[in-house]
Amino acid sequence: MQFSNLNLDYFSILPEIITALAGVILMLIDAFSKKAGRKLSPMFSLFALVATLASIIALWPRASYTASFAGMIVNDHLRLYFALVIVACGIIATLLASQFLDDEALPPGEFYALMMFATTGMLMMASAGDLVMVFLGLETSSIATYVMAGYRRTDLRANESSLKYFLLGSFSAAFLLYGMALTYGATGTTNIEGIRQILIAGKVIYPQMLLVGVAMMLVGFGFKIATAPFHLWTPDVYEGAPTLVTAILATGPKVAVFAAFLRVFAEGLGTPTAPAVGAQIYDNWINALAVMAAIGMTFGNIVALAQRNMKRMLAYSSIAHGGYTLIGFLTTEYAPVGFYMLTYALMSLGAFAIVQMLAREGDAKTEISDYAGIGFEVPNLSFPLAIFMLSMAGIPPMAGFMGKFYVFKSAWVSSPNLRWLVIVAIINSIISVYYYLYPIVVMFFRPPVSDFTKPRLSPMSQLALAITIIGTLYFGLFPNGALKVLQQKTPGAQQVAVQK
Amino acid sequence: MKEYLPILVVFLFVLGFAVTNLVLAHLLGRHRNTRAKLMPYECGIDPVGSAHQRFSVRFYLVAMMFILFDIEAVFLLPWAVIFRSLSEKLSRPFVYAEMMVFLIVLLVGYIYVWKKGVFEWNRG
Repeated sequence: MQFSNLNLDYFSILPEIITALAGVILMLIDAFSKKAGRKLSPMFSLFALVATLASIIALWPRASYTASFAGMIVNDHLRLYFALVIVACGIIATLLASQFLDDEALPPGEFYALMMFATTGMLMMASAGDLVMVFLGLETSSIATYVMAGYRRTDLRANESSLKYFLLGSFSAAFLLYGMALTYGATGTTNIEGIRQILIAGKVIYPQMLLVGVAMMLVGFGFKIATAPFHLWTPDVYEGAPTLVTAILATGPKVAVFAAFLRVFAEGLGTPTAPAVGAQIYDNWINALAVMAAIGMTFGNIVALAQRNMKRMLAYSSIAHGGYTLIGFLTTEYAPVGFYMLTYALMSLGAFAIVQMLAREGDAKTEISDYAGIGFEVPNLSFPLAIFMLSMAGIPPMAGFMGKFYVFKSAWVSSPNLRWLVIVAIINSIISVYYYLYPIVVMFFRPPVSDFTKPRLSPMSQLALAITIIGTLYFGLFPNGALKVLQQKTPGAQQVAVQK
Repeated sequence: MKEYLPILVVFLFVLGFAVTNLVLAHLLGRHRNTRAKLMPYECGIDPVGSAHQRFSVRFYLVAMMFILFDIEAVFLLPWAVIFRSLSEKLSRPFVYAEMMVFLIVLLVGYIYVWKKGVFEWNRG
């Protein structure tokens, strides 16, 4: 490795620096004054996240494929866009967190610090230009989220959720790491762009090893985005974790893993015209992904039909949404996946936020039957929940419809031989309407439950809810702005990052 | 393979050091066997009895602290060894600053666990 070519560009990792520093400061605030922490921490983390958002926007004009830090960090449009979505998720979650922590009387300081560290890891995943960096970001965010899943320390279900998440998460990380090691062995580089160049040049040293390595990476990523057949941890973890943490788990890390997934597969291994093993590997992973997507949607939707618990239902629905998103990989462009993730993150955060508000202390009321007749009691919660459910089902004018439409359409156009997948997806969307409408029916058309009391809403939670509702409607009605941002092409050709 | 010879020498040295110490202790030391000394070594816990018992979470904290500073040493040593040669390729303040960043991060962690009372051994 040449030292003169390290290309240290600290500005390009400013978002990560801000969130990491903020995490450390939040830890210290909590250590020195618990009392001040309760008031100060949410404000400080919001401030830090807004600063991160600003730094991402400031980085926008500098987007290029030239990798910094010896190929570790890529600052192209894919990274910037996904970073934006990740930080937006972080802001919404932070807005919701203060009421959650107050209501449940949980210690506040560490929660914000953990969230900052998790965000740092997610941002690292989005900006990774190297397999090592992908893994580092994944672990940084995972370790923080393992702890967050068990944040309600005295609750057995939260403990179960945390332990399951930890064990299966580390198991899948081992798969991913082994896959990366084999890929490195087969190509001689861990740099994603370097791998692509080697595939195009047909210089793979051990083709069989590469096949095994890529398959294992596929398993590892499949676990992390919770698509079938690697989804088994999802319902238990999502149900047991505090609802707000579930909201975070279902959005931020998923968005980030999709970014890294796109980077490694769609960019690094997206070589349909490469000689020999290059084209073969592309064929293999795209077909495997198509099968994963089909199983994911079908399984998620059909099992969700039988769920009577809101959180479990949303967990299965998130498995199904993971399947829809994978269809976007057929285009080997990041725009469809990116737009779907944006819409999914908004409606998912919104739906979980409402479940959180209705759930009471210790997530006591998360059965769908608990929502009977509350429709006109708390219209400020029931109508938004209805909007999010319709959006998830993919009913127009909501964002979920635009997301699905864009993914299906681009996949239909770009890969004629995999059109069956789009048809499966459309059938699935129709099936899913049933269980998304069920909570709405229960809320508005069932006799009310007797022991219902109106939940308290803090101004910050109301703001978070407003952002998600407006976002869901805005991107459904006027998706052009977001799509224009997504279709920006990073200037310059992709270059091999400096290595060796 | 020649370049691995020093590693072999180190291994032999380590083995020799351990064996010599044990042999010397056996030959020179006084042997007064008490009941406690003859028990299987279990870090101070009674080795006979139920294995299903609760023990203090502090064990883990100590283990984590140990790993923290262990890793610090693991990083510091090679850095110190190649500091000069690395400084010629990169700038000296840079090589210095990189390690200081790492140390500051560790220091913050240290302050954090201190403030959280990990070192207050006799607190309930």
